Amino acid sequence: MSVELLRVDNLDKTFTRRGKPAVEALRGIGLSIKEGEFVSIVGASGSGKSTLLRIIDGLLTPSAGTVYVDGKLVTRPGRDRAMVFQQDSLLPWKTVIENVAYGLTLARMPWAKAQPIAQRFVDLAGLTSFESHYPHQLSGGMRQRVNVARALAVDPKILLLDEPFASLDAQTREIMQTELLSIWQASRKTVLLITHQIDEAVFLSDTVIVFSARPGTVRAKIPIPISRPRSLEVKRQPAFMAIVDQIWNMIEGEVRTSLKLNP
Amino acid sequence: MRSIYEFFEQDSRTAAIARITLSVLCVLLLWQVVSVFVANRLLLVPPADVAAALVTETQRGAMWTNAVATVTAVGTSFLVSVALGISIGFALASSRALSLTAGPVLSALNSVPIIALAPLFIAWLGLGFASKFVLVLMVAVFPVVVTTEAGLRATDRQLIEAARSFDATSMQIFTTVTFPYALPFIVSGIRVSWARALVGIVVAEFFGSFAGFGFAILSASQTFDTARVLGYVIVLGAMGLFGSVLFEALERRLAPWKHE
Repeated sequence: MSVELLRVDNLDKTFTRRGKPAVEALRGIGLSIKEGEFVSIVGASGSGKSTLLRIIDGLLTPSAGTVYVDGKLVTRPGRDRAMVFQQDSLLPWKTVIENVAYGLTLARMPWAKAQPIAQRFVDLAGLTSFESHYPHQLSGGMRQRVNVARALAVDPKILLLDEPFASLDAQTREIMQTELLSIWQASRKTVLLITHQIDEAVFLSDTVIVFSARPGTVRAKIPIPISRPRSLEVKRQPAFMAIVDQIWNMIEGEVRTSLKLNP
Repeated sequence: MRSIYEFFEQDSRTAAIARITLSVLCVLLLWQVVSVFVANRLLLVPPADVAAALVTETQRGAMWTNAVATVTAVGTSFLVSVALGISIGFALASSRALSLTAGPVLSALNSVPIIALAPLFIAWLGLGFASKFVLVLMVAVFPVVVTTEAGLRATDRQLIEAARSFDATSMQIFTTVTFPYALPFIVSGIRVSWARALVGIVVAEFFGSFAGFGFAILSASQTFDTARVLGYVIVLGAMGLFGSVLFEALERRLAPWKHE
Protein backbone atom coordinates (compact mmCIF):
# COMPACT_ATOMS: atom_id res chain seq x y z
CA MET A 1 0.00 0.00 0.00
CA SER A 2 2.82 2.39 0.58
CA VAL A 3 4.29 2.27 -2.91
CA GLU A 4 4.60 5.72 -4.46
CA LEU A 5 2.54 5.87 -7.64
CA LEU A 6 2.65 9.51 -8.68
CA ARG A 7 5.51 11.87 -8.11
CA VAL A 8 5.66 15.50 -9.23
CA ASP A 9 8.90 17.42 -8.68
CA ASN A 10 9.66 21.15 -9.01
CA LEU A 11 7.08 21.58 -11.69
CA ASP A 12 6.60 24.99 -13.35
CA LYS A 13 4.23 25.94 -16.12
CA THR A 14 4.23 29.29 -17.86
CA PHE A 15 1.92 29.95 -20.79
CA THR A 16 3.52 32.15 -23.42
CA ARG A 17 1.54 33.47 -26.32
CA ARG A 18 2.86 35.84 -28.90
CA GLY A 19 1.78 39.43 -28.31
CA LYS A 20 0.50 38.67 -24.83
CA PRO A 21 2.24 38.76 -21.47
CA ALA A 22 3.38 35.36 -20.21
CA VAL A 23 1.13 33.82 -17.56
CA GLU A 24 2.77 31.83 -14.80
CA ALA A 25 0.23 29.13 -13.96
CA LEU A 26 2.24 26.82 -11.68
CA ARG A 27 5.42 27.29 -9.68
CA GLY A 28 7.54 24.72 -7.92
CA ILE A 29 4.85 22.09 -7.55
CA GLY A 30 5.91 18.96 -5.70
CA LEU A 31 3.62 16.18 -4.64
CA SER A 32 3.58 12.47 -4.10
CA ILE A 33 0.63 10.06 -4.11
CA LYS A 34 0.79 6.52 -2.82
CA GLU A 35 -0.88 3.61 -4.55
CA GLY A 36 -4.56 3.31 -3.66
CA GLU A 37 -4.67 6.79 -2.15
CA PHE A 38 -7.45 9.30 -2.82
CA VAL A 39 -6.00 12.81 -3.04
CA SER A 40 -7.80 16.05 -3.88
CA ILE A 41 -6.50 19.44 -4.86
CA VAL A 42 -8.57 22.47 -3.93
CA GLY A 43 -7.86 26.09 -4.68
CA ALA A 44 -9.37 29.33 -5.89
CA SER A 45 -9.91 29.73 -9.59
CA GLY A 46 -6.65 30.66 -11.25
CA SER A 47 -4.64 28.34 -9.04
CA GLY A 48 -3.66 26.23 -12.06
CA LYS A 49 -5.12 23.01 -10.68
CA SER A 50 -6.66 21.98 -14.01
CA THR A 51 -3.37 22.78 -15.73
CA LEU A 52 -1.53 20.49 -13.33
CA LEU A 53 -3.98 17.68 -14.02
CA ARG A 54 -3.51 18.09 -17.78
CA ILE A 55 0.26 17.98 -17.36
CA ILE A 56 -0.01 14.77 -15.33
CA ASP A 57 -2.30 13.31 -18.01
CA GLY A 58 0.25 14.31 -20.66
CA LEU A 59 -2.06 16.68 -22.54
CA LEU A 60 0.21 19.60 -21.68
CA THR A 61 3.97 19.69 -21.22
CA PRO A 62 5.52 21.40 -18.19
CA SER A 63 7.90 24.34 -18.58
CA ALA A 64 10.17 22.75 -15.99
CA GLY A 65 10.09 19.83 -13.60
CA THR A 66 9.04 16.22 -13.91
CA VAL A 67 6.06 13.92 -13.48
CA TYR A 68 6.59 10.24 -12.78
CA VAL A 69 3.77 7.68 -12.77
CA ASP A 70 4.77 4.29 -11.38
CA GLY A 71 8.43 5.19 -11.91
CA LYS A 72 7.99 6.20 -15.55
CA LEU A 73 8.53 9.76 -16.77
CA VAL A 74 5.37 11.26 -18.27
CA THR A 75 5.88 12.95 -21.63
CA ARG A 76 2.54 12.28 -23.35
CA PRO A 77 -0.86 10.69 -22.68
CA GLY A 78 -0.69 7.03 -21.79
CA ARG A 79 -2.85 4.13 -20.78
CA ASP A 80 -1.57 4.20 -17.19
CA ARG A 81 -3.62 7.38 -16.63
CA ALA A 82 -7.24 8.13 -17.40
CA MET A 83 -9.03 11.43 -17.12
CA VAL A 84 -12.63 12.24 -16.25
CA PHE A 85 -13.49 15.65 -17.64
CA GLN A 86 -15.63 18.37 -16.13
CA GLN A 87 -18.22 18.62 -18.86
CA ASP A 88 -19.63 15.94 -21.04
CA SER A 89 -16.94 14.58 -23.19
CA LEU A 90 -18.98 11.61 -24.36
CA LEU A 91 -19.38 10.97 -28.06
CA PRO A 92 -23.01 11.85 -28.80
CA TRP A 93 -23.28 9.35 -31.68
CA LYS A 94 -22.16 6.40 -29.56
CA THR A 95 -24.28 4.45 -27.10
CA VAL A 96 -23.44 4.19 -23.40
CA ILE A 97 -21.59 0.90 -23.81
CA GLU A 98 -19.73 2.10 -26.90
CA ASN A 99 -18.68 5.21 -25.00
CA VAL A 100 -17.49 3.16 -22.04
CA ALA A 101 -15.52 0.94 -24.44
CA TYR A 102 -14.07 3.96 -26.29
CA GLY A 103 -10.64 3.85 -24.66
CA LEU A 104 -10.43 0.11 -25.28
CA THR A 105 -11.35 0.40 -28.97
CA LEU A 106 -8.81 3.20 -29.40
CA ALA A 107 -6.25 0.71 -28.05
CA ARG A 108 -7.42 -1.54 -30.94
CA MET A 109 -9.04 -4.12 -28.69
CA PRO A 110 -11.53 -6.21 -30.68
CA TRP A 111 -15.18 -5.59 -29.78
CA ALA A 112 -15.71 -9.18 -28.63
CA LYS A 113 -13.09 -8.56 -25.95
CA ALA A 114 -13.93 -4.94 -25.19
CA GLN A 115 -17.68 -5.45 -24.83
CA PRO A 116 -17.64 -7.65 -21.67
CA ILE A 117 -15.11 -5.34 -20.00
CA ALA A 118 -17.22 -2.30 -20.81
CA GLN A 119 -20.31 -4.13 -19.56
CA ARG A 120 -18.60 -4.76 -16.24
CA PHE A 121 -17.97 -1.04 -15.74
CA VAL A 122 -21.44 -0.12 -16.99
CA ASP A 123 -22.76 -2.35 -14.21
CA LEU A 124 -20.30 -0.97 -11.66
CA ALA A 125 -21.43 2.57 -12.46
CA GLY A 126 -25.05 1.54 -11.95
CA LEU A 127 -25.98 1.95 -15.61
CA THR A 128 -27.25 -1.58 -16.24
CA SER A 129 -30.10 -1.58 -18.81
CA PHE A 130 -28.98 1.79 -20.18
CA GLU A 131 -26.27 0.23 -22.40
CA SER A 132 -27.90 1.16 -25.69
CA HIS A 133 -29.04 4.63 -24.69
CA TYR A 134 -27.38 7.65 -26.24
CA PRO A 135 -25.84 10.33 -24.00
CA HIS A 136 -28.55 12.89 -24.83
CA GLN A 137 -31.13 10.49 -23.42
CA LEU A 138 -29.43 10.47 -20.00
CA SER A 139 -29.45 12.91 -17.10
CA GLY A 140 -26.33 14.92 -16.28
CA GLY A 141 -25.51 12.65 -13.35
CA MET A 142 -25.79 9.51 -15.47
CA ARG A 143 -23.60 11.01 -18.17
CA GLN A 144 -20.89 11.68 -15.59
CA ARG A 145 -21.18 8.06 -14.42
CA VAL A 146 -20.56 6.97 -18.02
CA ASN A 147 -17.56 9.29 -18.01
CA VAL A 148 -16.16 7.67 -14.86
CA ALA A 149 -16.88 4.16 -16.21
CA ARG A 150 -15.10 5.00 -19.47
CA ALA A 151 -12.00 6.09 -17.59
CA LEU A 152 -12.02 3.02 -15.32
CA ALA A 153 -12.55 0.61 -18.24
CA VAL A 154 -9.03 1.13 -19.58
CA ASP A 155 -7.73 -0.06 -16.20
CA PRO A 156 -5.47 2.92 -15.50
CA LYS A 157 -3.07 3.02 -12.57
CA ILE A 158 -4.34 6.45 -11.64
CA LEU A 159 -7.68 8.13 -12.21
CA LEU A 160 -7.57 11.89 -12.81
CA LEU A 161 -10.82 13.73 -12.16
CA ASP A 162 -11.20 17.33 -13.32
CA GLU A 163 -14.09 18.82 -11.32
CA PRO A 164 -16.24 15.90 -12.43
CA PHE A 165 -19.40 17.01 -10.63
CA ALA A 166 -19.15 20.76 -11.18
CA SER A 167 -21.93 20.85 -13.75
CA LEU A 168 -24.38 18.86 -11.60
CA ASP A 169 -26.98 20.23 -9.21
CA ALA A 170 -26.20 20.11 -5.48
CA GLN A 171 -28.31 17.04 -4.63
CA THR A 172 -27.06 14.98 -7.57
CA ARG A 173 -23.52 15.98 -6.67
CA GLU A 174 -23.88 14.63 -3.12
CA ILE A 175 -25.18 11.30 -4.42
CA MET A 176 -22.43 11.11 -7.03
CA GLN A 177 -19.81 11.69 -4.32
CA THR A 178 -20.97 8.65 -2.38
CA GLU A 179 -21.15 6.64 -5.60
CA LEU A 180 -17.61 7.66 -6.49
CA LEU A 181 -16.51 6.53 -3.04
CA SER A 182 -18.07 3.12 -3.43
CA ILE A 183 -16.65 2.72 -6.94
CA TRP A 184 -13.25 3.71 -5.60
CA GLN A 185 -13.57 1.23 -2.74
CA ALA A 186 -14.53 -1.52 -5.22
CA SER A 187 -11.73 -0.76 -7.70
CA ARG A 188 -9.01 0.41 -5.29
CA LYS A 189 -7.64 2.84 -7.87
CA THR A 190 -5.35 5.70 -7.03
CA VAL A 191 -7.34 8.89 -7.52
CA LEU A 192 -6.35 12.51 -7.99
CA LEU A 193 -9.37 14.83 -7.90
CA ILE A 194 -9.48 18.52 -8.73
CA THR A 195 -12.37 20.44 -7.23
CA HIS A 196 -13.37 23.85 -5.99
CA GLN A 197 -15.80 22.27 -3.49
CA ILE A 198 -13.95 22.03 -0.21
CA ASP A 199 -16.51 19.73 1.43
CA GLU A 200 -16.33 17.40 -1.57
CA ALA A 201 -12.55 17.19 -1.28
CA VAL A 202 -12.62 16.54 2.47
CA PHE A 203 -15.43 14.01 2.20
CA LEU A 204 -13.71 11.92 -0.47
CA SER A 205 -10.01 12.18 0.25
CA ASP A 206 -7.21 10.72 2.34
CA THR A 207 -5.24 13.91 1.76
CA VAL A 208 -6.35 17.35 0.59
CA ILE A 209 -3.77 19.56 -1.08
CA VAL A 210 -4.53 23.26 -0.88
CA PHE A 211 -3.28 25.43 -3.74
CA SER A 212 -2.68 29.13 -3.64
CA ALA A 213 -3.32 31.16 -6.76
CA ARG A 214 -1.38 33.18 -9.35
CA PRO A 215 0.89 31.33 -9.70
CA GLY A 216 -0.40 28.05 -8.36
CA THR A 217 1.75 26.69 -5.57
CA VAL A 218 1.22 24.01 -2.95
CA ARG A 219 0.12 25.81 0.17
CA ALA A 220 -0.70 22.95 2.51
CA LYS A 221 -1.17 19.19 2.56
CA ILE A 222 -3.88 18.21 4.97
CA PRO A 223 -4.42 14.58 5.96
CA ILE A 224 -8.08 13.70 6.55
CA PRO A 225 -8.26 11.42 9.59
CA ILE A 226 -11.93 10.49 9.16
CA SER A 227 -12.45 6.74 9.16
CA ARG A 228 -13.84 4.83 6.18
CA PRO A 229 -16.25 3.79 4.85
CA ARG A 230 -17.79 7.26 4.95
CA SER A 231 -21.43 8.11 4.44
CA LEU A 232 -23.01 11.53 3.87
CA GLU A 233 -23.58 11.85 7.66
CA VAL A 234 -19.85 12.44 7.97
CA LYS A 235 -20.46 15.89 6.56
CA ARG A 236 -22.36 16.85 9.72
CA GLN A 237 -19.62 15.77 12.14
CA PRO A 238 -17.76 18.57 13.97
CA ALA A 239 -14.39 17.08 12.98
CA PHE A 240 -15.40 17.24 9.32
CA MET A 241 -16.63 20.80 9.59
CA ALA A 242 -13.49 21.89 11.41
CA ILE A 243 -11.30 20.68 8.53
CA VAL A 244 -13.54 22.36 5.95
CA ASP A 245 -13.31 25.61 7.91
CA GLN A 246 -9.56 25.35 8.20
CA ILE A 247 -9.18 24.96 4.41
CA TRP A 248 -11.72 27.66 3.67
CA ASN A 249 -9.78 30.11 5.84
CA MET A 250 -6.67 29.37 3.79
CA ILE A 251 -8.21 30.16 0.44
CA GLU A 252 -10.84 32.73 1.35
CA GLY A 253 -8.49 35.66 0.79
CA GLU A 254 -7.60 34.40 -2.67
CA VAL A 255 -11.19 33.82 -3.65
CA ARG A 256 -11.87 37.44 -2.71
CA THR A 257 -8.88 38.64 -4.72
CA SER A 258 -9.96 36.63 -7.74
CA LEU A 259 -13.41 38.18 -7.49
CA LYS A 260 -11.78 41.56 -7.82
CA LEU A 261 -9.59 40.38 -10.70
CA ASN A 262 -12.51 38.96 -12.67
CA PRO A 263 -15.38 41.34 -12.02
CA MET B 1 -58.91 20.82 -33.28
CA ARG B 2 -56.21 20.92 -30.67
CA SER B 3 -55.33 17.27 -31.19
CA ILE B 4 -55.00 17.83 -34.97
CA TYR B 5 -52.64 20.71 -34.25
CA GLU B 6 -50.59 18.53 -31.92
CA PHE B 7 -50.52 15.76 -34.50
CA PHE B 8 -49.04 18.17 -37.07
CA GLU B 9 -46.31 19.13 -34.63
CA GLN B 10 -45.30 15.51 -34.15
CA ASP B 11 -41.96 14.13 -35.17
CA SER B 12 -43.29 10.94 -36.81
CA ARG B 13 -43.21 9.85 -40.43
CA THR B 14 -47.03 9.83 -40.70
CA ALA B 15 -47.14 13.40 -39.44
CA ALA B 16 -44.46 14.42 -41.94
CA ILE B 17 -46.40 12.85 -44.83
CA ALA B 18 -49.59 14.52 -43.58
CA ARG B 19 -47.86 17.90 -43.45
CA ILE B 20 -46.53 17.61 -47.00
CA THR B 21 -49.93 16.41 -48.28
CA LEU B 22 -51.72 19.28 -46.57
CA SER B 23 -49.41 21.95 -47.94
CA VAL B 24 -49.63 20.51 -51.48
CA LEU B 25 -53.43 20.41 -51.23
CA CYS B 26 -53.48 24.04 -50.09
CA VAL B 27 -51.39 25.12 -53.08
CA LEU B 28 -53.62 23.13 -55.46
CA LEU B 29 -56.74 24.67 -53.95
CA LEU B 30 -55.37 28.21 -54.17
CA TRP B 31 -54.27 27.54 -57.75
CA GLN B 32 -57.71 26.22 -58.66
CA VAL B 33 -59.43 29.28 -57.17
CA VAL B 34 -57.10 31.72 -58.92
CA SER B 35 -57.46 29.93 -62.26
CA VAL B 36 -61.25 30.35 -62.05
CA PHE B 37 -60.76 34.13 -61.99
CA VAL B 38 -57.95 34.26 -64.55
CA ALA B 39 -59.75 33.48 -67.80
CA ASN B 40 -56.73 33.79 -70.09
CA ARG B 41 -55.40 30.24 -70.51
CA LEU B 42 -52.08 31.56 -71.79
CA LEU B 43 -51.43 33.06 -68.37
CA LEU B 44 -52.73 30.31 -66.12
CA VAL B 45 -54.32 26.90 -66.53
CA PRO B 46 -56.12 24.94 -63.80
CA PRO B 47 -54.36 21.97 -62.10
CA ALA B 48 -56.44 19.42 -64.04
CA ASP B 49 -55.10 20.71 -67.39
CA VAL B 50 -51.55 20.43 -66.11
CA ALA B 51 -52.20 16.86 -64.97
CA ALA B 52 -53.59 16.09 -68.42
CA ALA B 53 -50.50 17.61 -70.05
CA LEU B 54 -48.26 15.48 -67.84
CA VAL B 55 -50.17 12.35 -68.89
CA THR B 56 -49.85 13.27 -72.58
CA GLU B 57 -46.12 13.90 -72.20
CA THR B 58 -45.67 10.54 -70.54
CA GLN B 59 -47.67 8.74 -73.24
CA ARG B 60 -45.69 10.47 -76.01
CA GLY B 61 -42.50 9.27 -74.36
CA ALA B 62 -41.20 12.84 -74.14
CA MET B 63 -41.27 12.72 -70.34
CA TRP B 64 -38.97 9.72 -70.30
CA THR B 65 -36.51 11.16 -72.81
CA ASN B 66 -36.32 14.45 -70.92
CA ALA B 67 -36.07 12.72 -67.55
CA VAL B 68 -33.17 10.55 -68.71
CA ALA B 69 -31.31 13.58 -70.06
CA THR B 70 -31.83 15.71 -66.98
CA VAL B 71 -31.38 13.05 -64.32
CA THR B 72 -28.17 11.69 -65.88
CA ALA B 73 -26.65 15.13 -66.15
CA VAL B 74 -27.76 16.42 -62.77
CA GLY B 75 -27.06 13.11 -61.03
CA THR B 76 -23.50 12.82 -62.31
CA SER B 77 -22.54 16.40 -61.66
CA PHE B 78 -24.27 16.40 -58.27
CA LEU B 79 -22.32 13.34 -57.15
CA VAL B 80 -19.07 14.82 -58.43
CA SER B 81 -19.93 18.13 -56.70
CA VAL B 82 -20.43 16.34 -53.40
CA ALA B 83 -17.17 14.36 -53.69
CA LEU B 84 -15.22 17.41 -54.81
CA GLY B 85 -16.87 19.67 -52.21
CA ILE B 86 -16.02 17.30 -49.36
CA SER B 87 -12.41 16.99 -50.58
CA ILE B 88 -11.96 20.75 -50.86
CA GLY B 89 -13.62 21.21 -47.46
CA PHE B 90 -11.19 18.66 -45.94
CA ALA B 91 -8.23 20.43 -47.48
CA LEU B 92 -9.40 23.82 -46.20
CA ALA B 93 -10.08 22.49 -42.70
CA SER B 94 -6.70 20.80 -42.45
CA SER B 95 -4.65 23.82 -43.42
CA ARG B 96 -5.24 27.22 -41.93
CA ALA B 97 -2.92 28.86 -44.44
CA LEU B 98 -4.81 27.32 -47.36
CA SER B 99 -8.15 28.28 -45.86
CA LEU B 100 -7.08 31.90 -45.40
CA THR B 101 -5.54 32.07 -48.88
CA ALA B 102 -8.29 30.35 -50.84
CA GLY B 103 -11.17 31.59 -48.69
CA PRO B 104 -11.68 35.03 -50.29
CA VAL B 105 -11.63 33.60 -53.84
CA LEU B 106 -14.08 30.87 -52.87
CA SER B 107 -16.51 33.26 -51.21
CA ALA B 108 -16.26 35.60 -54.22
CA LEU B 109 -17.03 32.69 -56.55
CA ASN B 110 -19.86 31.63 -54.26
CA SER B 111 -21.56 35.01 -54.45
CA VAL B 112 -21.06 35.54 -58.20
CA PRO B 113 -24.25 34.62 -60.11
CA ILE B 114 -22.61 31.75 -61.93
CA ILE B 115 -25.96 31.02 -63.55
CA ALA B 116 -25.52 34.25 -65.51
CA LEU B 117 -22.37 32.80 -67.04
CA ALA B 118 -24.27 29.89 -68.58
CA PRO B 119 -24.04 31.22 -72.18
CA LEU B 120 -20.29 31.61 -71.70
CA PHE B 121 -19.89 28.02 -70.53
CA ILE B 122 -21.81 26.84 -73.57
CA ALA B 123 -19.57 28.92 -75.82
CA TRP B 124 -16.53 27.27 -74.20
CA LEU B 125 -17.71 23.71 -73.90
CA GLY B 126 -20.36 23.43 -76.62
CA LEU B 127 -23.90 22.15 -76.45
CA GLY B 128 -24.43 18.94 -74.52
CA PHE B 129 -23.21 17.16 -71.48
CA ALA B 130 -19.93 18.97 -70.74
CA SER B 131 -21.44 22.44 -70.39
CA LYS B 132 -24.33 21.17 -68.26
CA PHE B 133 -21.91 19.23 -66.08
CA VAL B 134 -19.61 22.15 -65.43
CA LEU B 135 -22.41 24.64 -64.79
CA VAL B 136 -24.12 22.40 -62.24
CA LEU B 137 -20.78 21.65 -60.62
CA MET B 138 -20.02 25.36 -60.28
CA VAL B 139 -23.27 26.11 -58.46
CA ALA B 140 -23.57 22.90 -56.42
CA VAL B 141 -20.05 22.51 -55.07
CA PHE B 142 -19.90 25.54 -52.77
CA PRO B 143 -22.50 24.62 -50.13
CA VAL B 144 -20.67 21.32 -49.57
CA VAL B 145 -17.26 23.01 -49.35
CA VAL B 146 -18.49 25.55 -46.82
CA THR B 147 -20.35 23.12 -44.56
CA THR B 148 -17.60 20.49 -44.68
CA GLU B 149 -14.99 22.98 -43.58
CA ALA B 150 -17.29 24.50 -40.95
CA GLY B 151 -18.29 21.06 -39.63
CA LEU B 152 -14.72 19.84 -39.33
CA ARG B 153 -13.70 23.04 -37.57
CA ALA B 154 -16.73 23.04 -35.26
CA THR B 155 -15.75 19.86 -33.42
CA ASP B 156 -16.03 20.17 -29.68
CA ARG B 157 -12.53 20.74 -28.24
CA GLN B 158 -13.56 18.70 -25.22
CA LEU B 159 -14.17 15.60 -27.34
CA ILE B 160 -10.79 15.92 -29.02
CA GLU B 161 -9.08 16.39 -25.66
CA ALA B 162 -10.80 13.27 -24.32
CA ALA B 163 -9.63 11.25 -27.33
CA ARG B 164 -6.09 12.58 -26.90
CA SER B 165 -6.25 11.67 -23.24
CA PHE B 166 -6.91 8.07 -24.30
CA ASP B 167 -3.75 8.29 -26.39
CA ALA B 168 -5.60 8.37 -29.72
CA THR B 169 -3.54 8.87 -32.88
CA SER B 170 -4.44 11.84 -35.07
CA MET B 171 -5.98 9.41 -37.57
CA GLN B 172 -8.14 7.94 -34.77
CA ILE B 173 -9.17 11.43 -33.67
CA PHE B 174 -10.26 12.12 -37.23
CA THR B 175 -12.22 8.89 -37.73
CA THR B 176 -13.80 8.68 -34.27
CA VAL B 177 -14.37 12.35 -33.41
CA THR B 178 -13.88 15.00 -36.09
CA PHE B 179 -15.47 13.22 -39.04
CA PRO B 180 -18.59 11.86 -37.27
CA TYR B 181 -19.06 15.32 -35.76
CA ALA B 182 -18.85 16.98 -39.18
CA LEU B 183 -21.05 14.47 -40.99
CA PRO B 184 -24.47 16.04 -40.23
CA PHE B 185 -23.08 19.45 -41.24
CA ILE B 186 -21.87 17.95 -44.53
CA VAL B 187 -25.27 16.38 -45.20
CA SER B 188 -27.01 19.72 -44.64
CA GLY B 189 -24.65 21.20 -47.22
CA ILE B 190 -25.49 18.36 -49.61
CA ARG B 191 -29.18 19.16 -49.17
CA VAL B 192 -28.67 22.79 -50.21
CA SER B 193 -26.40 21.61 -52.99
CA TRP B 194 -29.12 19.36 -54.47
CA ALA B 195 -31.58 22.27 -54.70
CA ARG B 196 -28.94 24.41 -56.38
CA ALA B 197 -28.02 21.61 -58.78
CA LEU B 198 -31.64 21.45 -59.98
CA VAL B 199 -31.69 25.16 -60.69
CA GLY B 200 -28.32 24.84 -62.41
CA ILE B 201 -29.41 22.01 -64.69
CA VAL B 202 -32.57 23.79 -65.84
CA VAL B 203 -30.65 26.95 -66.71
CA ALA B 204 -27.98 24.93 -68.50
CA GLU B 205 -30.66 23.18 -70.52
CA PHE B 206 -32.34 26.49 -71.36
CA PHE B 207 -29.25 27.69 -73.14
CA GLY B 208 -27.77 24.66 -74.68
CA SER B 209 -29.48 21.35 -75.15
CA PHE B 210 -31.97 19.38 -77.17
CA ALA B 211 -33.44 17.30 -74.37
CA GLY B 212 -34.15 17.59 -70.67
CA PHE B 213 -36.69 19.30 -68.47
CA GLY B 214 -35.16 22.75 -68.99
CA PHE B 215 -35.27 22.28 -72.78
CA ALA B 216 -38.89 21.06 -72.53
CA ILE B 217 -39.92 24.05 -70.42
CA LEU B 218 -38.28 26.45 -72.85
CA SER B 219 -39.84 24.88 -75.96
CA ALA B 220 -43.28 24.67 -74.32
CA SER B 221 -43.16 28.31 -73.29
CA GLN B 222 -42.17 29.31 -76.83
CA THR B 223 -45.38 27.72 -78.10
CA PHE B 224 -47.35 29.24 -75.20
CA ASP B 225 -48.21 25.77 -73.90
CA THR B 226 -48.62 26.87 -70.29
CA ALA B 227 -49.93 23.49 -69.12
CA ARG B 228 -46.74 21.75 -70.26
CA VAL B 229 -44.51 24.44 -68.75
CA LEU B 230 -46.18 24.08 -65.38
CA GLY B 231 -46.21 20.29 -65.66
CA TYR B 232 -42.42 20.11 -66.01
CA VAL B 233 -41.95 22.70 -63.29
CA ILE B 234 -43.98 20.48 -60.97
CA VAL B 235 -41.83 17.46 -61.83
CA LEU B 236 -38.73 19.48 -60.93
CA GLY B 237 -40.39 20.61 -57.72
CA ALA B 238 -41.09 17.00 -56.83
CA MET B 239 -37.42 16.10 -57.43
CA GLY B 240 -36.39 18.96 -55.17
CA LEU B 241 -38.81 17.90 -52.45
CA PHE B 242 -37.68 14.28 -52.69
CA GLY B 243 -34.03 15.26 -52.23
CA SER B 244 -34.81 17.60 -49.39
CA VAL B 245 -36.85 15.02 -47.47
CA LEU B 246 -34.23 12.32 -48.09
CA PHE B 247 -31.26 14.38 -46.91
CA GLU B 248 -33.14 15.78 -43.96
CA ALA B 249 -33.95 12.23 -42.84
CA LEU B 250 -30.30 11.29 -43.28
CA GLU B 251 -29.21 14.30 -41.23
CA ARG B 252 -31.55 13.31 -38.40
CA ARG B 253 -30.32 9.77 -38.51
CA LEU B 254 -26.72 10.85 -38.29
CA ALA B 255 -27.27 13.39 -35.51
CA PRO B 256 -30.27 12.37 -33.43
CA TRP B 257 -28.89 14.30 -30.44
CA LYS B 258 -29.42 17.59 -32.27
CA HIS B 259 -33.14 17.03 -32.66
CA GLU B 260 -34.27 16.15 -29.16
